[in-house]
Amino acid sequence: MWLSGMLFSPLIGVVVLLCLPRKRGQLHRVMGLFGTLPPLLLAFYIAFQYNIQQGGIQFREHLPWFSIPLGQGQSWEFAYQLGVDGLSLSLIIMTVIITALAAIASFVIKKREKGYFLLFLLLEVGVLGVFCARNLFLFFIFFEITLVTMFFLVGIWGQVNRERAANQFLLYNGVGSALMLLGFIGIQSLFQTMDMDQLLGIMSNQQMMLALAHNEMAQRVLMGSFVCIVLAFAIKLPIFPFHTWMVKVHTEAPPAVVMIHSGILLKMGAYGLIRFGVELFPAQVKEIAFILAILGLINLLVGAVLAFKQTELRRILAYSSVSHMGIILFGIASLNLSGLTGAVFQTVSHGFISALLFFYIGRLYERTRTTDITELGGLAAPMPVMTGILLIGGLALLGLPGMSGFISEFLAFLGLFHTQPTIAVIGTMGLVFAAVYTLRAVLTIGYGPTEPRWQKLTDARWTELIPMLTMVGGILLIGIWPAVLGDPIQSTLTQIVARIGG
Amino acid sequence: MSDFAWCIPLFPLLASLLLTMGARRYSDGVASLIASCAVFISAAISIGVLMETLNTVVPTVHHWRWLSFGDQSITVGAEVNQLNALMLVIVSLVSFLVHRYARGYMAGDRRMATFYAYLSLFTFSMLGLVISPNLLQLYVFWELVGVCSFLLIGFWFYKPEAKRAARKAFILTRIGDVGLFIAVILTFWQVGSFEWEAIFAAISANKIPPEMITLIALLIFVGAVGKSGQFPLHSWLPDAMEGPTPVSALIHAATMVAAGAYLVARAFPIFAASDVALGTVAYVGAFTAIFAATIGLVQNDIKRILAWSTVSQLGYMMLALGSSGYVAGIFHLTTHASFKALLFLAAGAIITMLHHEQDIRRMGGLWKSQRRIGWLFLIGCLAITGIPPFSGFFSKEEILTAAWLSGRVDLFLVGVVTAFLTALYIFRLFFLVFMGEERGKIAPSQIPRVMIWPMVLLTIPAIGAGFLAWIPAHGFSDWLTKGTGILAAPQGEAPGWIPLLTLLLSLAGVGVAWLRYGRGAVTIPSQSQSVTGIHHLLSRAYFVDDLYRWGIGKPYRWLSILLSWVDQQIISGIVSGVGALFQAGGRIGSRMQNGQAQTYALVSLLGLVIVIVGLTAGRWFG
Repeated sequence: MWLSGMLFSPLIGVVVLLCLPRKRGQLHRVMGLFGTLPPLLLAFYIAFQYNIQQGGIQFREHLPWFSIPLGQGQSWEFAYQLGVDGLSLSLIIMTVIITALAAIASFVIKKREKGYFLLFLLLEVGVLGVFCARNLFLFFIFFEITLVTMFFLVGIWGQVNRERAANQFLLYNGVGSALMLLGFIGIQSLFQTMDMDQLLGIMSNQQMMLALAHNEMAQRVLMGSFVCIVLAFAIKLPIFPFHTWMVKVHTEAPPAVVMIHSGILLKMGAYGLIRFGVELFPAQVKEIAFILAILGLINLLVGAVLAFKQTELRRILAYSSVSHMGIILFGIASLNLSGLTGAVFQTVSHGFISALLFFYIGRLYERTRTTDITELGGLAAPMPVMTGILLIGGLALLGLPGMSGFISEFLAFLGLFHTQPTIAVIGTMGLVFAAVYTLRAVLTIGYGPTEPRWQKLTDARWTELIPMLTMVGGILLIGIWPAVLGDPIQSTLTQIVARIGG
Repeated sequence: MSDFAWCIPLFPLLASLLLTMGARRYSDGVASLIASCAVFISAAISIGVLMETLNTVVPTVHHWRWLSFGDQSITVGAEVNQLNALMLVIVSLVSFLVHRYARGYMAGDRRMATFYAYLSLFTFSMLGLVISPNLLQLYVFWELVGVCSFLLIGFWFYKPEAKRAARKAFILTRIGDVGLFIAVILTFWQVGSFEWEAIFAAISANKIPPEMITLIALLIFVGAVGKSGQFPLHSWLPDAMEGPTPVSALIHAATMVAAGAYLVARAFPIFAASDVALGTVAYVGAFTAIFAATIGLVQNDIKRILAWSTVSQLGYMMLALGSSGYVAGIFHLTTHASFKALLFLAAGAIITMLHHEQDIRRMGGLWKSQRRIGWLFLIGCLAITGIPPFSGFFSKEEILTAAWLSGRVDLFLVGVVTAFLTALYIFRLFFLVFMGEERGKIAPSQIPRVMIWPMVLLTIPAIGAGFLAWIPAHGFSDWLTKGTGILAAPQGEAPGWIPLLTLLLSLAGVGVAWLRYGRGAVTIPSQSQSVTGIHHLLSRAYFVDDLYRWGIGKPYRWLSILLSWVDQQIISGIVSGVGALFQAGGRIGSRMQNGQAQTYALVSLLGLVIVIVGLTAGRWFG
């Protein structure tokens, strides 16, 4: 029951918050922060209990939930099934850390705090559920929870154009989840189950697949389901040109929410692509590997070029996220171990990097009331420490060795060079482009002469420094000692690659 | 001692961490002391390691597992061989002297501790680079030295020129690094390992197709071109002079920029297996050497002249390596490190003396008042010009011999002409600064002793390093190549007239410089006088920067504007249209402020409808 405990532990905070009087803003904020601690502790406990040598899915939970009778004594059974392996556990650890730090960043929320932190903690339940679920239907439910909570977090607590952003968010993601559901139902109708383990067994069963191959209708449904699922996660990742909503959310949502959005929620797209695309449909993924690589290339280069044009720091980072998701696609498209390892590394690495940078943005905005880089400049003079953090974040963003981003880029390119060398060569231009837009942003903000109005800015306080250094620590830890993340995910990825067959 | 080689880089790293964490707490003296002590320990161990390699030739390698995927295991570690040991000593010694010197040069700067933190971090990275036993680890440190260089060029962050120079350095070297990046990956898929040993073994066993070897070698060279400021990625190096002068001495003259030459030397068996690659290295090197030397003739900023000279001298090293003159290249790297560091430190002393005046047109006549600096600078000039017995003579002579023996007469001639140009531009600098009347308006101030003695120590190798070539029975080249299977130099008998010719041309260069600039009576063309033709071409460095601006920079900006327009107008436009349609129908947004419950109900309802539709639709396939 450890997993369920961890997964629903943010609800403790929810219950306490509900009992608190309405007007006590500070109390709500503190309680919101405390609410993120039980999942943090439990997740680390589970991670330490997880047996890396043994690998595979551990901490399984299985409860029958409900069934839909179909007549003639048949029925569709739905079950509550949880379980984690190294892959999902890595993402869970990332989630609980970033959520706790985002709760600290949320201290600047000065309006309807109670509702904010209620939704915030519910969002965490949803995300953790997404990474724990071993049943497609359950996965879908948790996925929907993240959608609804996020919709309100953007729409109520965002910037001026928050409602437009929230609507666009809902529009895109609504279409996405409809597609996902369609795909899942296709699978259900074909195989009469939504149990991940059963499905994995069926999909790797040669005879079963041969039998399917003769049924044209079934083939069509299978391919249709696969395409639906890939599209659903492509919107979430997002893949160009489905990125508009995500740029809007980056710009309009409060920075603390963007930490979660950019750091964690986008990664559900990557996780979904790996878990339900590559792992479940090895044969079909092979067919679209080339398309995925092309899409990755477009994301990588177009995102970087667009990032260069922006003047709003949040938009720069939004397009930089588009560009970095291209690396994930590269890793997935290479369909080999180094590539997939790179994709997972990028998932976790980018989580920490963008969370760090949006934490910085939140703190910067508190001081300057603007994050337009044309208005900023020379901030290293009044704020050497804050600017140092920005510099570290920027260097991590452009993939400096010694930081997490390098490992993921290197492994993804290593993988892709083996299978699609031409695309990979073109893709390396992205390394230069990334340096161009990152340095433009970092140097414009930090370097140059300081305008008089910025000379009185205060540097980082300890309460800001500790969260930022935590994320810097994560980035450096993965960069310097990559085995800390590489070892736990190996058994899962090795199995996935074995399913693809080389 | 070699067993502890892996901890050589760690002392500067530790110092850097200490200084970063307590940047505001340390006084200038303490900060300088921490950093200098750390580098001193590294230097001491490095010398011990070098002593050991004099007797044993078996490389010592240490490995630790770093990351595994599948059955592949990537390791990190430390390797000590002759080349690495030599580089360790060069880097740590020059770094130590520069650390001490900077105490005087940077006096009064509020961010002294930060400066030393960066400087130590650089030393760590550079030492880590030279002990890397594999290509991936080398790439990691390769990038780290690049970033330290970037940080130090932009150390005076409030200066717009420093900001621009730092960005330029980072981006141009990164373009080169992409080449190296691809080379690392290609090598892995060819060899199945990043280890140098495995790579060399695969090459000698003919396991890699020849075209692939050429491709890998050329890509490695692209990395070296970026780092060592070779044409066409050279233009960041002169701009890098915006950094503090100790940085120019350490990073942009003696060590980091030489990393490109080191890389080619380290990967020499790969180059040696491909004539195309060797030829490319030689031609690019020779072209860069003469190209930069001509530009150096007309510059007026004392540091920029030295920077162009560095580009030119690095070209010499590449010319040597490309002509199979393995030892000659490394030899010149060694001598150049000492005399160029000396020249930069002396230039820094002059700049300090004149209160940050860098324009040589406003100097002059310093010999009378500043005899001590004058001598130090003169020793550097004689060494780079190649007047015996100063070190540059010996290494340059070996390079030209290698070029001659490799059978490329054109390259040999370019090398000889460059020797003449070198003498000309460096003595133009010397005479304009030290001879004639004083053109400056400020009275020179005194130089603190902490800046003098590092220069005095540097004169020892600047004068004496050349005699390495005179160790009986080719001691130096035998030692350097023992056990590596690399030929020390191209086969053949070196003609005796080469050193004589070089010497005569160098003297001619000094003579011309004396006639034109030495007697003090010559008026210096001031900016008001129109400079046209060749002079303009040279002073603008052949318009390479303008070419980049209009050929790459602007088009990239236009591309970004175009794509941005497509993104805003077309992609977002379609979405906004659809979104507006939805909004008109549902008016979801307006409800959000006042009617949470209703909105939530609506959203949930939407979800439920989807679920029900989905479930019933599913039955059709059942």
